[in-house]
Amino acid sequence: MDITALKIRDMRNMLDKKEISAAELTDAYLKRITEIDGKLESFITVTADEAKADAAKAQEIIDRGEASALTGIPLAIKDNICTDGVKTTCASKMLEDFVPPYNATAMEKLNSNNIVMLGKASMDEFAMGGSTQTSAFKKTKNPYDLNRVPGGSSGGSAAAVSASLCAAALGSDTGGSIRQPASFCGVTGLKPTYGRVSRYGLVAFASSLDQIGPIAKDAHDCAIILNEISGYDYHDGTSAKRDVPDFTAKIGQSIAGMKIALPKEFYADGIDDEVRNAVTEAAKWYEKQGAVLVDCSMPSLKYAVAAYYLIASAEASSNLSRYDGIKYGHRSEFGDSYNDLICNSRSEGFGDEVKRRILLGNYALSSGYYDAYYGKAMALKQKIREEYASIFENCDIILTPTAPTVAYGVNENISDPAKMYQADICTVTVNIASLPGISTPCGYDKNGMPIGMSIIGKHWDEATIIQAADAYEKQFEYVPAKI
Amino acid sequence: MSAYIPVIGLEIHAELLTKSKVFCTCSAEFGGDKNTRCCPVCSGMPGTLPIINQTAVEYAVKAGFALGCDINKFSVFDRKNYFYPDLPKAYQISQLNLPLCINGLVPIEYEVNGEKKTKNIRINRIHLEEDAGKLIHDDLNGVSLADYNRCGIPLIEIVTEPDIGSADEAKAFVEKIALLLQYAGVCDCKMEQGSLRCDVNISIMKPTDTEFGTRAEIKNLNSIKAIGRAIDFEIYRQSKLLDMGKRVVQETRRFDDNRGETKSMRSKEDAHDYRYFPEPDILQVNFTDEDLDAIRAKLPEMPYKRLERYLADGLNENDAKIIVNQKVLSDFFDSAVKAYANPKSVCNFLIGEMMRRINLGEVSLENLPFTAEQFAKLVEMADTDKVSKNDAKDVFRTMCEKGGDPEEIAKAAGLLITNDTGKVIEVIDEVLAANDKAVAQYKGGDQKVFGFLMGQCTKALKGVCTPKVIKEELEKKLKSL
Amino acid sequence: MDLEMVKYLSKLGKLNFTDEELEKVAGDMTSIIEIMDTIKEIDITYDPLKDNHNVYLNGLREDKAMESFPTEKILQNAVKSENCFVVPKVVE
Repeated sequence: MDITALKIRDMRNMLDKKEISAAELTDAYLKRITEIDGKLESFITVTADEAKADAAKAQEIIDRGEASALTGIPLAIKDNICTDGVKTTCASKMLEDFVPPYNATAMEKLNSNNIVMLGKASMDEFAMGGSTQTSAFKKTKNPYDLNRVPGGSSGGSAAAVSASLCAAALGSDTGGSIRQPASFCGVTGLKPTYGRVSRYGLVAFASSLDQIGPIAKDAHDCAIILNEISGYDYHDGTSAKRDVPDFTAKIGQSIAGMKIALPKEFYADGIDDEVRNAVTEAAKWYEKQGAVLVDCSMPSLKYAVAAYYLIASAEASSNLSRYDGIKYGHRSEFGDSYNDLICNSRSEGFGDEVKRRILLGNYALSSGYYDAYYGKAMALKQKIREEYASIFENCDIILTPTAPTVAYGVNENISDPAKMYQADICTVTVNIASLPGISTPCGYDKNGMPIGMSIIGKHWDEATIIQAADAYEKQFEYVPAKI
Repeated sequence: MSAYIPVIGLEIHAELLTKSKVFCTCSAEFGGDKNTRCCPVCSGMPGTLPIINQTAVEYAVKAGFALGCDINKFSVFDRKNYFYPDLPKAYQISQLNLPLCINGLVPIEYEVNGEKKTKNIRINRIHLEEDAGKLIHDDLNGVSLADYNRCGIPLIEIVTEPDIGSADEAKAFVEKIALLLQYAGVCDCKMEQGSLRCDVNISIMKPTDTEFGTRAEIKNLNSIKAIGRAIDFEIYRQSKLLDMGKRVVQETRRFDDNRGETKSMRSKEDAHDYRYFPEPDILQVNFTDEDLDAIRAKLPEMPYKRLERYLADGLNENDAKIIVNQKVLSDFFDSAVKAYANPKSVCNFLIGEMMRRINLGEVSLENLPFTAEQFAKLVEMADTDKVSKNDAKDVFRTMCEKGGDPEEIAKAAGLLITNDTGKVIEVIDEVLAANDKAVAQYKGGDQKVFGFLMGQCTKALKGVCTPKVIKEELEKKLKSL
Repeated sequence: MDLEMVKYLSKLGKLNFTDEELEKVAGDMTSIIEIMDTIKEIDITYDPLKDNHNVYLNGLREDKAMESFPTEKILQNAVKSENCFVVPKVVE
């Protein structure tokens, strides 16, 4: 039996029954990382020694019969989530040597579960991108085809899960950065409701949109992780002061009678036929199980990419201003004045895509342009939220493709940033509207590349999208990556 | 130089007296060893988030009430983006469109050539923001060193309308603001420590002009005197430019205290495009009517109320104003009156003796070696003839030098009047026995020797008895002989 | 987007570009702005009150000072001197 391919809940069972030890599990993953990650390039940092120590500590707790849900489970952490004492690079030359002096709250919560951290997963630089090819260190490949991208920005996390280099991973999602790579890599990724998981310690890209979430082998595993990382946090004023339900609670309940909306704009021309067909087939499957399909419309979807990029880049331009080479991060050897030093440090430290977003953000906020761009984008955000609210008046969940296409080649699209932006059309509105969304595999294209579908829920109703995704997954013929 | 009308608006930054910083839990106390009052949040580490301090918001609203403002029941925080090494996040969390307080009004009084004038200065807004760190310039190594202890100390910025017309008005206004903030208990207003700082926006115009002139902004003035001097210099500088047919440049200037001149600050010039936008990390703040009523109820007695009370207690207006205009003095006075309920008498001693010694620099109001209760006791002792009025001054001098209880000081110096009748009679008997000749003269009808005998008794009874009692007892004794 | 605008935006963002890079960036930005300009056709305005999260005064953090971080942890990623961050000399 390949223990690295197990689901978290099966690992839990075996760990608790002493059928495997935390060390065996950890070693199996470390071995696989050594064998495979040279070509997959999903980890920026592998913390093998720490992982072994974590496993030993976890085993003591398991032996005492005090294990929590994730005790001894080997996980990968996206490299924009701060880990005290372990480099957190955001896949940027800017933070190549940055060692955070504190842990992100989500990380603290995992640590109090005594997980085993295998290492820090690659990503697009500062989470800006959908291919992981803007990473300054590890341009991760897709486990289903090493010539294709894993998606992004949480491409390292998704690829590592897909290739069984970890049991599951944490990612972050600002405009689709968990769901889209999950879709490309044929695994399940969940973006929680904004405010569900503390953002403290998540290196900010766009503060009003960022959310940490799990990428795992299936929805059930996502729910198990979400149970552990959710909840109000004193350190994050935007985290919600509300009780955290058991996200696995609705798993297995019948979906008969569930109303599923299919907004027509998400199935329009820009979507690849194979993708559209796979998602439509999935909708039909739900209907066969007794769910009710509801036609609906989201007229503002055509403005969503622009609104998203304006808001996200505006916030990013401000969030990334702190990288000046003085307090941390890349410090240029050149520059005798403060101004020269920070200009040089930033110009050397940031990659092209990050620079474009900074310019775009400054454009959207600069005097004379604010109303036309940032102000309008914020108004559109309100409009999109209203359109979602009206759709949810008549349905329980919304079903859409996760991305217009399957994973593309590593050299495609990269040179045309504008075209790359358009590819986010299916995912960005969920962030704009602060909603929870989950992507799960719903088919494979003619080349065997995974196709993902997204299920969007009402605010705070992660349990229902987990229920719906799980129901589909239980009958889905999953084809693992052959790597 | 022709006559111009100065148009002046002020931006006053006041640090709030909270225990913790405005967006993190580091101590907000002044000073500290370099970078010892810092955490990942206030030092701008990646991934950190601001958590707004309830008391800072409350104090800002309190300041708003003290300055006659309306409170926005829905208030939003914004980011002001600019690069400077004392600002670790490269943005300052501040407020733009929906500040906590708006539309205030502050009356000022000031004198011009001995003539008393009053004026109302409108407050445009008060908003809450965070202070920046400090840069220490190391000339030897040609670098600057950044200390972030001050980063995140809560600040309110009070912005006036351009209602101020002279250096005198500006000075009176800042003094008044400092007084009101101190009374409200939200800021200690120590300009020398930087807890109250002032930026001056100033332009000049001809009486016939219909539009304001181009303004200059003078940053970070840290004394009342500097504010006055900077304004006077700027009026002079701008007038001279206009007289020569030149134009005033809109710019930021710094006041050089040594030279008494303002100078252009080029380093702050590069970007005036602050790209404000709503701070996504802070959900806005709402107030219910009950919240606002509760904050208003917490506002202590303000200076004009105290003035009314002092006048009702019979203090003359001049004295009352002197006391009210220094919160420490007024608090001292109130405590003293609480211990000895004779406001007029306490006031007289306070204005006469205590202020004199303070003005001589013998003691400082901030650091008195005695308590208000001890002071009150001394006044009461003088009023009840336990010590003579003259001796009371000596006792007070000792209190100023060493502190201590006035009764013990008086006793030790032999100045305490006990009016012990037994002792008086005993001493009188001794004096009369020793001066039988004089007694005989008196008995013989020579009233003049009474003075001599009185003098002898007083000398022997110094510190025991008041002259009045001596006189009574001496008369009684002589009559009985 | 013209070169002047790109230069202005780089100045705001503290980024340097060579002349060659500047041309390329201006091209990229032009096609990006084209997408952004799609929102110009819709006429709506933002209403901050609609974004009210109903956080009231009593929901804010209590004013309690807690221990700060060790200075060496604050400075662990910086060029430091005398327990401070070292900045090229700032002239005012």
